[in-house]
Amino acid sequence: MTFSPLRYMLLLFFLVASGGIAAAGDSGFLSVTGPCRLEFPRDHGPHPGFRTEWWYWTGNLKSETGRRFGFQLTFFRYQLTPFGGASAWPDPPSAWRSRQIYLGHAALSDLAGKRHFQSERAARQALGLGGWVRWGPDITLFLRNWYAVILPDAHRLHAEGEEFKFTLEMKPAKAPVLHGIDGYSRKGTTPERASCYYSFTRLETTGTVTAGGKTYDIDGESWMDHEFSTAPLEPGTVGWDWFSIQLSDKTEIMIYLLRTEDGGVNPASSGTYIDASGALRHLEKGYFQIRVKDTWKSAKSGAVYPRRWNLAVPLLGIDLDLSSNLADQEMRTAGTTGVTYWEGSVAVKGTKGGSPIDGHGYVEMTGYAGPVSALQ
Amino acid sequence: MDPTDSIDMMDPTPQPLIIARGLTRSYPLGDGAVIGINAVNLMVAAGEMVVLKGNSGSGKSTLLSLLAGLDRPTGGELVVAGHSLSGAGGVDLTRYRREVVGMVFQSFNLLPTLDVLENVCLPALLAEKPAEPVRNKALELLDWLGLRNRLHHTPAQLSGGEMQRTAIARALINDPALILADEPTGNLDSRNGRIVIDLLSELNRRSGRTVVVATHSDLADDLATVRIRLQDGALADPPCHS
Amino acid sequence: MPQLNFLLKIFLWFSVRHLRRHLGRALVVLFGIALGAAVFTSVRLSVHASLQSFTRSMDFFAGTADKVLVRPGGHVPEGVLPVLLAHPAVKEFSPLLTTYVRVHPAKGGAFLLVGIDPLLDQPFRSWRLRGGRTEIAERWLDLIREPKTVILTEPLSREIDTVAGARITLDHSRNRAEFRVAGVLVPEGLALVEGGRVALTDIATFQEFTGLFGLVDRIDLRLRPKTSPAQLEDLARKLPEEIEIRSPSAARDSGSAMIRAYQLNLSVLSFASLFVGMFLVYSLVALNAASRRRELAILRALGASPRLLFNLFLAEGALFGVCGWLLAIPLGSVLVKYLLHTVSQTISTLFVRVHVEGLLLSPAEVAVSFGVTLCVAVAAAFQPARDAMRVPPKEAMEIAHTGRLRRRMAGRLAAWAAGCLLACVPLALLPGVAGVPLPGYLAILLLFVGSALMAPWLLEHLGRAVSPGLRRLAGTPAYLAGRYLRDSGARTSISVGALITAVALFTALVVMIHSFRQTVELWVRQTVSGDLFVTTKMGQVNRFQFPIPAEIVDNLREAGSYADLVPSRRYPLAYGDFPYEFEAMGMEPFLKHGGFVWLQGEAAEVQPRLVAGEGLLISEVFANRTGLEPGDTFRAWIEGSRVELPVAGVIRDYRTDGGVVFYSWDHFKERFHDPQWSGVRFYFRDRSGDIDVQTAALRELLIGRWGDRLDMISGKDLREAVLRIFDETFAITSVLLLIALSVAALGITTTMTVLVLERTRQLNTLLAVGASSRQVRAMICWEAGFLVTAGELAGLLCGFVLSYLLVYVINRQSFGWTFLYTVDWGVLALSAPLIVLTALAAALPAVRTALREPPAMLLRER
Repeated sequence: MTFSPLRYMLLLFFLVASGGIAAAGDSGFLSVTGPCRLEFPRDHGPHPGFRTEWWYWTGNLKSETGRRFGFQLTFFRYQLTPFGGASAWPDPPSAWRSRQIYLGHAALSDLAGKRHFQSERAARQALGLGGWVRWGPDITLFLRNWYAVILPDAHRLHAEGEEFKFTLEMKPAKAPVLHGIDGYSRKGTTPERASCYYSFTRLETTGTVTAGGKTYDIDGESWMDHEFSTAPLEPGTVGWDWFSIQLSDKTEIMIYLLRTEDGGVNPASSGTYIDASGALRHLEKGYFQIRVKDTWKSAKSGAVYPRRWNLAVPLLGIDLDLSSNLADQEMRTAGTTGVTYWEGSVAVKGTKGGSPIDGHGYVEMTGYAGPVSALQ
Repeated sequence: MDPTDSIDMMDPTPQPLIIARGLTRSYPLGDGAVIGINAVNLMVAAGEMVVLKGNSGSGKSTLLSLLAGLDRPTGGELVVAGHSLSGAGGVDLTRYRREVVGMVFQSFNLLPTLDVLENVCLPALLAEKPAEPVRNKALELLDWLGLRNRLHHTPAQLSGGEMQRTAIARALINDPALILADEPTGNLDSRNGRIVIDLLSELNRRSGRTVVVATHSDLADDLATVRIRLQDGALADPPCHS
Repeated sequence: MPQLNFLLKIFLWFSVRHLRRHLGRALVVLFGIALGAAVFTSVRLSVHASLQSFTRSMDFFAGTADKVLVRPGGHVPEGVLPVLLAHPAVKEFSPLLTTYVRVHPAKGGAFLLVGIDPLLDQPFRSWRLRGGRTEIAERWLDLIREPKTVILTEPLSREIDTVAGARITLDHSRNRAEFRVAGVLVPEGLALVEGGRVALTDIATFQEFTGLFGLVDRIDLRLRPKTSPAQLEDLARKLPEEIEIRSPSAARDSGSAMIRAYQLNLSVLSFASLFVGMFLVYSLVALNAASRRRELAILRALGASPRLLFNLFLAEGALFGVCGWLLAIPLGSVLVKYLLHTVSQTISTLFVRVHVEGLLLSPAEVAVSFGVTLCVAVAAAFQPARDAMRVPPKEAMEIAHTGRLRRRMAGRLAAWAAGCLLACVPLALLPGVAGVPLPGYLAILLLFVGSALMAPWLLEHLGRAVSPGLRRLAGTPAYLAGRYLRDSGARTSISVGALITAVALFTALVVMIHSFRQTVELWVRQTVSGDLFVTTKMGQVNRFQFPIPAEIVDNLREAGSYADLVPSRRYPLAYGDFPYEFEAMGMEPFLKHGGFVWLQGEAAEVQPRLVAGEGLLISEVFANRTGLEPGDTFRAWIEGSRVELPVAGVIRDYRTDGGVVFYSWDHFKERFHDPQWSGVRFYFRDRSGDIDVQTAALRELLIGRWGDRLDMISGKDLREAVLRIFDETFAITSVLLLIALSVAALGITTTMTVLVLERTRQLNTLLAVGASSRQVRAMICWEAGFLVTAGELAGLLCGFVLSYLLVYVINRQSFGWTFLYTVDWGVLALSAPLIVLTALAAALPAVRTALREPPAMLLRER
């Protein structure tokens, strides 16, 4: 039996994200309580002082021969201790001493091959093992040879695992979208249960992916999220479902549902609709309905995940059916006893304003293989 | 019941059981050789009771050893019950000893670690016969020889006569065509000697078995059907049929 | 199957019943072989337990690495990390630091502190914390989050009596600091290293605690699948020149090779007991075959095949083998308790640190022990079985067969014996096979076999030569005894063979141990000279990798006004896979007071060159393993310096199993870099007063100034400790020796008893013709005396040859060292009569049996 520190690392990350841990020294961290005043390119970079932060790239890709892929690349930042405070460092400190830990998750869904590749990495921000650098306006996040570079006019990604690899170049088709109130995104009833949150909702993507030994030139559309916080979720939250949908009429929808212990949904759940011009509309919880139409049970973790949904936003005349492009897109980096989540490519079909419409998207579902808050 | 009745009805037409032509056995000694027997010609029909006489060193034991398959001739030919012993190898001789002959020794030669019954069964077991029938047959033989109450005594607990009767039972266990007795009375008092000779004679008369007795004594003389006298390794006179 | 059944039945009837009738003899033989098997098995099991514990510990520690980066004599700088990060051949890497630390105030012994980056190390080593999942996550993370945190194993936390969350103070060569116990490890994976005497900490904490900033001991690598040798070479090129890419198993392999060599040595020694047991089996089976000749002839006459008889006697041997082995289990379980501890201690002292938690009953070892015992017993029965097979059935017809004495046999055996003995010479000259002196062992085996085969011839000639003279000197009984032995043939010589083996073993080991000890004493006096030895705290267990801090060195130098100081720096290095130590030492003051034990080179000629830094000395072991000779050039990377120096001489050194290289400290500093001091020894200049008092005073002074930052031992105590370790090591050998001798004594008892029982008739005839019982008894005593004397003489002779083989072939090939051959005549002179007396005492029961029954009864028929 192998002990995986990373598994526990990730578990911890989710626990913090879900408010499961009221860690000592919380007070020493900065909290998100009001307007985020995001400025770019500065705020593409990390925000030390806040406990957690993540950069999420997902997308749907297609090769010249029509072979379809989904991908995910995530960088997590986790701060161990607040600046200053009781846990002073020895003097002189070792070069290995660091407050920041970076984790990376990468996955590639080969939809035609019906295979889901995944890999994970972790490193402390020290000795060039992982972390970030700023070069002029460019921000680079890296974990060994994985990287994500955010340039003013492009994003460049590279990640690899045992049997897969992808190198992507992305051009934003729209300006960053600030969710909530100018990026201040409420995740609970009290003001500090919140995060600063923005997205690139449509990134025109080109590059290469390698799956199972074969390399494909691809193009497609991607989505990027960047979010940071210290205590985003309220106690009693068992997990969340997050939807990013790119419709063929150049509009996008982002919705997150915060699921509670009693089977309900936290009223702070909300979403954003972005029209073709980039103008947005905040979607309160009451504006949309999501119904699960079918489920899939993971043989490996035993978790039961939704696999088909109906999403309706009556206000916008939107009625969409979502279905996963591959049942098993479960991230099991954590094994059955740790944190397991589902992050995958979905197909979208439905009507908007009465006329048929289609699209694609990515869905993330956490807390199905045991509620994250019950893990303690 | 006489168990020997059931033992065999061998060859219905009596024909020579033992054929020796120019049979010679010499022992090398230094540069020369000592002659055991020399150019013996002999023919013994099945069913005879042969008494073999001669002084010490006359070649009696040598002839008996050859007949018993304990030794090999150095010259001439010896055929017993169709087995040619002249050129036989070690394996053939072992088989011959198991299947054709039964031996009775002067000093009984019972194995001290085995009891009476086991001693009797031993040759059959050496011939790899199934244990249960062998045991039954041994019991019959020992019954007949009056040793029923001695089954589990070891040789050391037996009298000389009893030991020799056990040896006779042992000689019979494999239904041999030929019974060889080497001075069977030599270590016995005259009463027991008489009993042993009578038993051997009875085996010969009742079941037509060929018996060869090598002896100094006169006990067997009147019971013999053939008398052979050896002198200096050769037949002293032609075999005498009575 | 029915055939086997049948064989079993005949075996029961014929053989087992006979053995039961002579139960006494059978039991003695059984006990002998059991003792041999018990010794053999328990020795092997004990060494095996050490080997297991060592390799297991090394495997858990080595983890799943494909390659390891090290910098000989020093630490790997973190500066190489970017090379590893960028190189396509490297899939994962994990830097690692280790050191031995101790709890303060002292509680329990030193244990291994391992510093890793838990994140990078994850693919390499497995370990798990006790507790619930969230708890685990928090505590594990505490290692990185919180400076001065440590995770302990369960046995360690028990030993130092602490729990998770508590604070402990750790002592290290350079520092002392308070740590918080962040958690306790579940006993698996890494937690089993060093028998659980291990603690984990974050690499940052480790560096801050030990001051090794920017440095690591080694970096473990995992390579991408299908990495080509060319890629690996490319990696080596991109790394600094002094960095070596090694196989992770190198340390384990060299360590276990040493333990295996030791196991083989002990196995051979313990096999001698089994060999002696083999003689016992042979003697009894041969006796049975000979004394039951007539029964065998009868069996043949009744139709038994020769093969059956052969099998019967082999089965008799096998019966002894199987029963002996079964009886060996209880005997062995007592013995192994003693050996387990001693063996592991010896291995720890001589080779590598091992922690034996308990006996691991390896099926392979059990099978080996059973197989060897059975083979030995069956082999012992082989010759008698062949004799039995050849009994002609005709003998059944003979009335009184007297056993045939094959007069020519003794001569033929002697020819074989000569062949065996002669074959020893070329074998002894052959090199070992893969570091194992197989030809040497074969030579020993042939020596034993040859000597044993020589015994009949020896007895015959001894009997012939001495009996006429004895008649005049000691009367008829002695004469008769001599004559009897002359004619008794192979049977008596079997016991003499056993005695020869035991005496030879005894002599050889006495000579070897004595030579070894004499040489070590000389070495200790010369090379381990000095009045006070000072090193950093725990310098020894940490292999002197932490130099004495400069401020302490300055203070120590002050003692220079009344004492000569010999500073030294030791570097643990490896020559290929062979570990050795490079010691830079103050050559001039050292040679003034002490010296080396020279093997090659003249002190007068070489010492000036040493002092001038023109050459270095290598130890015998180093010379043997590397093939370097005086005049050759020694090359090594030491702490980033390329050292190339001519070899000036070869010396004896018994510090470790590995080699040692000595060079002048001053010239090392001048030519390469400042090696600093890892230790220093003091020689008082004024030697008129009481040295002990001076030493104690200096010691007190240093303790007063530096407390326990230094480890100190007086030269006298150190030298005593070295010799004590030596004596403890050879305790096992002595035990084996005693057992072999007692088995041989058992052999004498059986032989004499059998000889007497066989001849009761003859002995009583002697009485009948007018001998007195005293004369008969005297005759038997003389016989025993002859046997024992012959065995003792031949054994001594054989023993000297054996000791030569042990010292110059076996030791040289398995450990690389030899010693000055010196014979402990005193012990041998004392032991010879002792052995003779013991053997004679062993013959006493036979004398008593001789005339137990009245002659008339025995003269009766049969």
